[in-house]
Amino acid sequence: MAEIVDIEAKGLNFYYSGNVHAIKDVNISAYKKKVTALIGPSGCGKTTLLRCYNRMHDLYPKNRYEGEVIFEGRNILGKDIDIISLRSRIGMVFQKPTPFPMSVFDNIAYGLRLKGIKNRGELSERVEKALRNAAIWDEVFGKLNVSAYELSGGQQQRLCIARALAVEPEIILFDEPTSALDPISTGKIEELIVELKKNVTIIIVTHNMQQAARISDWTGFMMLGELIEFDKTEKMFTAPNEKLTEDYITGRFG
Amino acid sequence: MNVGSRRKAENIIALFLSFLAAFFGIFWLVFILGDVLVHGIGALKLSLFLNDPVPPGVSGGGLRNAFAGQMLITLFATFIGVPLGVLGGTFLAEYARGTRVAAVISILSDIMVSVPSIVIGTFIYAVLVRPLGHFSGWAGAAALAVIMVPVVLRTTEDMLSLVPWTLREAAFALGAPYYKVIIQVVYRAAATGIFTGILLAVARVAGETAPLLFTSFNNAYFSLNMNGPISSLTATIFQYAMGPYDDWHAQAWAASFVITATVLLITIVGRILISWRLK
Repeated sequence: MAEIVDIEAKGLNFYYSGNVHAIKDVNISAYKKKVTALIGPSGCGKTTLLRCYNRMHDLYPKNRYEGEVIFEGRNILGKDIDIISLRSRIGMVFQKPTPFPMSVFDNIAYGLRLKGIKNRGELSERVEKALRNAAIWDEVFGKLNVSAYELSGGQQQRLCIARALAVEPEIILFDEPTSALDPISTGKIEELIVELKKNVTIIIVTHNMQQAARISDWTGFMMLGELIEFDKTEKMFTAPNEKLTEDYITGRFG
Repeated sequence: MNVGSRRKAENIIALFLSFLAAFFGIFWLVFILGDVLVHGIGALKLSLFLNDPVPPGVSGGGLRNAFAGQMLITLFATFIGVPLGVLGGTFLAEYARGTRVAAVISILSDIMVSVPSIVIGTFIYAVLVRPLGHFSGWAGAAALAVIMVPVVLRTTEDMLSLVPWTLREAAFALGAPYYKVIIQVVYRAAATGIFTGILLAVARVAGETAPLLFTSFNNAYFSLNMNGPISSLTATIFQYAMGPYDDWHAQAWAASFVITATVLLITIVGRILISWRLK
């Protein structure tokens, strides 16, 4: 099956507060309906790279991008890009669960309401669909009106995935989504990610090498802001081209 | 003496001193509250709330004018002070976060909180009472609002700063513009805290006397006219306590009791809300 590029970074550089060079000339593609994992030691820039895809860095002053990130033929780093609609098409799930202080239903409906959907029937339908797709419907269908804070950590994280899914994005960015969860919840999220790639493109940052090996199709290894190697996951984990990649994956450093 | 027993001795001395200090503070607090309670409850009658003052010597007078005036002034002070404080705090914690302007305003507010309230009273006297030529309820409300603003502003700023950034990022990541993130997510997360701050600010100004003496002054008659002098509990307590009549003293005690109990109640509700929020 031919791989279709969904989003592509070209000669991407990123500077924090004007001068901290966090991403150095990175070229990387994420393929449509595939899982791309970004691995590397702490501070290597993988999360920074992830946050370029939905322009999250724009929230903080003096951050600066150079180069291009091409999504559907347009450079999303351009000034003419509507960041708000971009973010509704490229969703994000964070390291720690981030439920909003409102009911389970309102959490999922949040993004839909932002898009202007007010019809109660349509909202209910799409909330249910999102919860089902995030494999949490069976656990919460009787608790749609309770505060999202009352769910367990693992449930909250799947709720956040459902919230991201509800607006039907093309890409979902995962920033270490299981690092705050126990092994059982982690397992559920991993299964879910594999399931989700039938419909969406996924880019996931992870510290857990086994996780990258288990769920991703492509893996990028980063160090000190540079992309050292990018290849199919099985290749990366069995016969990487770079000595650094091999050393990192086999646990010789990092 | 070895190290162990020396530390034990030091511990006992420190414990004793801190116990003594705490006891000293609590003793006076209980003394004051107990005094207000004993004298106040004795003088508390239904007629106090229903009747207006009568000339000294005539029995059956009350302080209806002062209760009504106090409520009006506090209510309008809240209407003026709370929106300003909440919006100012929002500006500091959200839009101006991390800037020099925010830091300067924050420090100025902290200074404002500790400015003696009589200074604020004289300030309002100079800008509102003198130019208009007469005392007014509006001037009183303005003085109390000026006292409220920095309290509400700083609590709002602190409460908003406590909301984790990842929560805002999560809302941004769904495509929300900043003002919607603030109104729909951040305010909701900080709601109890901000509300508590407002309650505590109301409790604080409800007990103010000095700024009212220069602004709303006092009024022996029942009046709801905010454009003229208007009675307040605190100013009345001041006047009655200074007066020569036993009736006045009794009513001042009763009014003191009511105002203390109200402030205590508001504060307790505020504290309960805080602990509820932190759960």
